[in-house]
Amino acid sequence: MKRNTLVITAVLFILAAFAWAAWANWELRKQARERLLAASARNVLVVAPAGSAAQYIVPLQGKPAPAFALEDLTGKKISLADYKGKVLLINFWATWCAPCKIETPWLIELRNRYAAQGFEVLGISADDLDRDDPAKLSDDKQQIARFVQQTLIPYPVMIDGDSISQPYGGLDELPASFFVDRNGTVVAAQLGITSKDEIEANIKKALGAK
Amino acid sequence: MIAGKTEMRLAAVAALALASVFAHSQSPLLDESQLSAPKPAAVAYLYPQQVTVPANQPTTLALHFRVAPGLHINSHMPSEAELIPATLTIPESSGVRIESAIYPHGIDITLPLDLKTRINVYTGDFVIQARIVAAAGNHLVEARLRYQACDNNACMPPKTITAPIEVIAR
Repeated sequence: MKRNTLVITAVLFILAAFAWAAWANWELRKQARERLLAASARNVLVVAPAGSAAQYIVPLQGKPAPAFALEDLTGKKISLADYKGKVLLINFWATWCAPCKIETPWLIELRNRYAAQGFEVLGISADDLDRDDPAKLSDDKQQIARFVQQTLIPYPVMIDGDSISQPYGGLDELPASFFVDRNGTVVAAQLGITSKDEIEANIKKALGAK
Repeated sequence: MIAGKTEMRLAAVAALALASVFAHSQSPLLDESQLSAPKPAAVAYLYPQQVTVPANQPTTLALHFRVAPGLHINSHMPSEAELIPATLTIPESSGVRIESAIYPHGIDITLPLDLKTRINVYTGDFVIQARIVAAAGNHLVEARLRYQACDNNACMPPKTITAPIEVIAR
């Protein structure tokens, strides 16, 4: 009897150990799968029904805006968390992007119009930065600074947007704008230039979101 | 003997349970349909894929490229300094060097939302005349075209494609 008890206890122990190992393995694979899915979640252009414009499927819509902390042109760190409670338009752009240049004056005008309601634009440059070559890095930053000066951007501008492109859907096309409500949720997104009216409508949507 | 049978049954049940758990935990992370397909390149290299040239003498090659419908790329001489020009290079280690390149004139276009600004671009098929000098022998050259593509509403990040050409120099 004693021997049987010992054997059964040993079998149960081994069973429990294997079950735990299998569960841990499954959990790890589940997390890896989620990471892989997040990394491959691209913003995708889809054909809309006849008579309406094509639309983008933006995986981030309805989800919390991914956190980031990036430097501005002076080296100061700016994070999304610094703007908690604000309604935000997170605008990815680049110096080589002609449509970005067209929409920047609209963003400035709308930012000034809605600032009193707790609205802010965060500009994020997706220009490549050559961090291996200090001289080239300086040139890269100067080019971004020239764009900011020429377009008279009054809102915060961060650099190295490429480093956060994956959580924002890959940023295969610019400009890309994400409208974030006071709770930090992405309520709308625009890929490519649309119109000032459409941008304003999305700002109002973000301002009105409970 | 009865206890021995119980142990056997218990071991069999345990083995089955473990097998089912392991079978599930080893399934593929994702099937292909769950991953976004990569986008095709905006510019494709067309031809030539093989050329025969005199060794150590300057020779002009016409490299043919095609921009995907609905897109344009900045020409080699874009109208604004910050725009990224189309540029052809050949790696120095390939046994073939590029002396110069003659780029086609682009066409001037305006974007629908800004009719005042004209940008100089390539669309459709275009040809770059590359003047090369090849050392004697066979060389697999991977010429590189760096470009930046846009449509009327959005721009894609700069990209470099390779144009593989077998250069036979005699």
